[in-house]
Amino acid sequence: MSSKTTSIRMSGLGGQGAVTASHIVGSAAVMDGKNAMVNPFFGAEKRLAPAESYVRISDEEIFDTGEILYPNIIMVFHPDVILHGKSYTMPFFSGLQKDGIIIVNSEFTFDFTEDEQKDLDDLNAKVYFVQATQLARDIGGTDLATNIAMLGALIGVTKIVTMTALEEALQERFGAKAKGFVASGTTAVLDDAITKQYAKAEKLIEANMKVLIAASESAESLLAA
Amino acid sequence: MSLAITKINPAFVDVMPQEYLDLASDGPFAADKSVKDLGTFKELIEEHPLCAGCNLALAFRTLISALPCPEDTVIVGSTGCNSLAFPQLAIHNVHALFGNQNAVASGLKRGLKLRFPDQNKDVVVMAGDGATADIGFDMTMHSWIRGENITTVMFDNEIYANTGGQESGMTPFGTVRNMAPTGKNFQKMNVPEFAKQAGCVYVAKVSTANTAKIGQCFRNAVLAAREIGPTYIQIYTPCPTNLKMKPAESVALAKKRAKEDYAFEEYMSEEVENLLVSSGAIKPKVKKEEGKK
Amino acid sequence: MSAKNLKEVSTEYMLFEAKREEQFMTGSEAVREAIRRANVDMAIAYPITPQSESMHLIGDLYAEGYVKEYFRGENEFAVMSQVAGGAMAGVRMFTATCGPGTLRAFENFPMWAGARLPIVIGFMTRAINAPLSIQPDTIEMAMLMDTGMLMLHAENAQELYDMYLMSFSIAERTSVHIPVGIFVDGFFVTHTRQKVKVVTEDVKLKPYDPSMSPTPHIDMETPPFRYMKDPFVMKSNYVSYAAHASWQQECMASIERSRPFLKELLGSFIEQQNPDAPIQIIASGTAVSQSREAIKMAKEEGIEVGLIKVKTIRPFPAEEIRQALSKAEKIIVPEFNRVGWLAKEVASVIPNNDRMVQGPRVFGGMTMPPDVIVKVIKENALFGV
Repeated sequence: MSSKTTSIRMSGLGGQGAVTASHIVGSAAVMDGKNAMVNPFFGAEKRLAPAESYVRISDEEIFDTGEILYPNIIMVFHPDVILHGKSYTMPFFSGLQKDGIIIVNSEFTFDFTEDEQKDLDDLNAKVYFVQATQLARDIGGTDLATNIAMLGALIGVTKIVTMTALEEALQERFGAKAKGFVASGTTAVLDDAITKQYAKAEKLIEANMKVLIAASESAESLLAA
Repeated sequence: MSLAITKINPAFVDVMPQEYLDLASDGPFAADKSVKDLGTFKELIEEHPLCAGCNLALAFRTLISALPCPEDTVIVGSTGCNSLAFPQLAIHNVHALFGNQNAVASGLKRGLKLRFPDQNKDVVVMAGDGATADIGFDMTMHSWIRGENITTVMFDNEIYANTGGQESGMTPFGTVRNMAPTGKNFQKMNVPEFAKQAGCVYVAKVSTANTAKIGQCFRNAVLAAREIGPTYIQIYTPCPTNLKMKPAESVALAKKRAKEDYAFEEYMSEEVENLLVSSGAIKPKVKKEEGKK
Repeated sequence: MSAKNLKEVSTEYMLFEAKREEQFMTGSEAVREAIRRANVDMAIAYPITPQSESMHLIGDLYAEGYVKEYFRGENEFAVMSQVAGGAMAGVRMFTATCGPGTLRAFENFPMWAGARLPIVIGFMTRAINAPLSIQPDTIEMAMLMDTGMLMLHAENAQELYDMYLMSFSIAERTSVHIPVGIFVDGFFVTHTRQKVKVVTEDVKLKPYDPSMSPTPHIDMETPPFRYMKDPFVMKSNYVSYAAHASWQQECMASIERSRPFLKELLGSFIEQQNPDAPIQIIASGTAVSQSREAIKMAKEEGIEVGLIKVKTIRPFPAEEIRQALSKAEKIIVPEFNRVGWLAKEVASVIPNNDRMVQGPRVFGGMTMPPDVIVKVIKENALFGV
């Protein structure tokens, strides 16, 4: 893949919103005037089964599509991806490019195996643990905002898209004028489930923005540390 | 259709085949012909390559003569002996594939409704027992379940006749046929009952023992399908060739079976009954209790 | 915007003149946006991954009034028969399927061509069992090659959108009037979100004109004397054989007669970049996109590679390909299937087949990273790096 493209691989469990997160960040990149290509992993995605989604962002035109084998950024939505092998690639960071970034959602930090740690060091990879689910629950009032918190962490660490564009992308997806976006039949069903939790679309966006900002700030503090 | 299109340009009369001239002058279009008029008008099906004594041919001729509106009827056939007769039929018809007749008819009917919203177009399926109950069974059933406004006719000769006498789902239990060398080991399918369960509003079981009855039932079925919902007619049409009979004996067999296990049966929903009574197609039934009084 | 009072426009206007706006959408949504403007009378659906989203979204168009009739059939064989019935009645039909659905429906496709039905069908290609797989793979295209339909292979969502909008007018030309299959690599395009320039929502294509059909419809609106839609003469004599043979040749000829219309609307049958490079890649569909990326990477390493993108598989642009490859010294054919149908087709029309590199090929759902193509390029680089 062209070196000017940033490739993000999001690994999580079905229903956590990795696919939705990838669509939102892709939309935001386009709103920022960049090019983006978003794919879900091509499976019969089932809730709590491994799920992956891929985003390519570039200032140039992007042709490459399909699974991202050589990501710059890996986002892990659930510790089980690493600890219980709920991942399509073993180890979970296989293919990570040099100086790559890993963001892990976990309520606790943990050590990698000795071999894994050595490989990560050789790659000069940076690993950030964030409590995305906790933030989603505390601030957004629902686990379902985990993916939004993960996006917040991504922005906090990388600034790959602007906060303004992200808000606009959230409006496009969940706002009152959302056009019944369909990434897949199943994600459409889950979209309905989350929008039902909020009386008004604006409330949902507002809650999501709060989660996003809190997660972003929390990740920024990790960066500083 | 506008009957004007059947008129022959006077400049071409001298070069048109007699066949065509006869259809234009003495055909059944908009003439309200029925089975009893056979022999008095130019029929829409005459020559065909079916066997001598073929009861399917007899039923086919009867059905075509009984069509309530031949000028606005289209027919979907299927693979089998009957498909040999269709190319000689002077009504738009299609063969498509073996077994997909009710699916083609579903699309056809809905398409005609879109194109001619204010004009009636009757869609009739005519196919054998193999096409209707075996290879096309799911499409037969689903067209009924969806409530398509079509009439389905099964020519039930209880055998795959065109391919040389193999067992079908409609073959009676125990019968020895090709591909059932030790006798069929499951029951004849009760398609009329399936039809009722699947939502057919009019179902009749008839045989070539009584062609006038075939005509009547078919007319009822087409009228009911036009206005209300799917309808089904099952006709016993014994095959003299595969049953190794003399051609002249086949109607006698139909009569025998009509007395034994292929007796006339008719079912209609209340809505159909009201429709047929109000249109004068049938007389109101005298209820038993009322009869006693 | 509502489905009512849309302005009817020609295909040429829709493709080349109508105002467009850029949106970020999945391939399935691009299908919906094309059909929204295609004035389709009836669409019939059946779910199968990765096509399901497309026909589900066409259902939404029906609910909004953009499609007049829509239902879910009971299986693909039935659906393709129902679609045939609608086309025989003389209305504009649309459906889509893929992989196992394509094979289940298969018997219908030659019948469509033989009955001269101008059906537009989408194939969101997928692997075929066994083993069970729902993943992208273009093997069904090899199987559909000689069913009598036109076959267009879209590279991305934009091309998919445009091909749908042009396909109806090609299918419905009197001199063509056969089915058109629009192929796209399932998931790689259907589930991928990318930029698509779509026409504004106030226009739609002109309706199908049944009077332009070369054969009458099953409607009893033409003189009804002994007319059958798909005539067969099931007799054992020479006239019967000749009738079948000449009818089939006529269907094949109608594919050839589509060429000028395709050329006008597609611009060209093939697209060539860097034509003088000694190494040429020839590809269709997603393999083109992956090749574009690989060519960029090879260039960064100092290797010039040319690209020939094939847009139509039927009719096959044999002469165009022969000329485009006349100077090539190595020809690489990346494909998303096991059998290498494009390589076979190309080999059958060019001289000196030993120039061809069969592959790289991935199948069963694998992604083809550009790096894989670059590796093959390097193996075949003639003058070193």
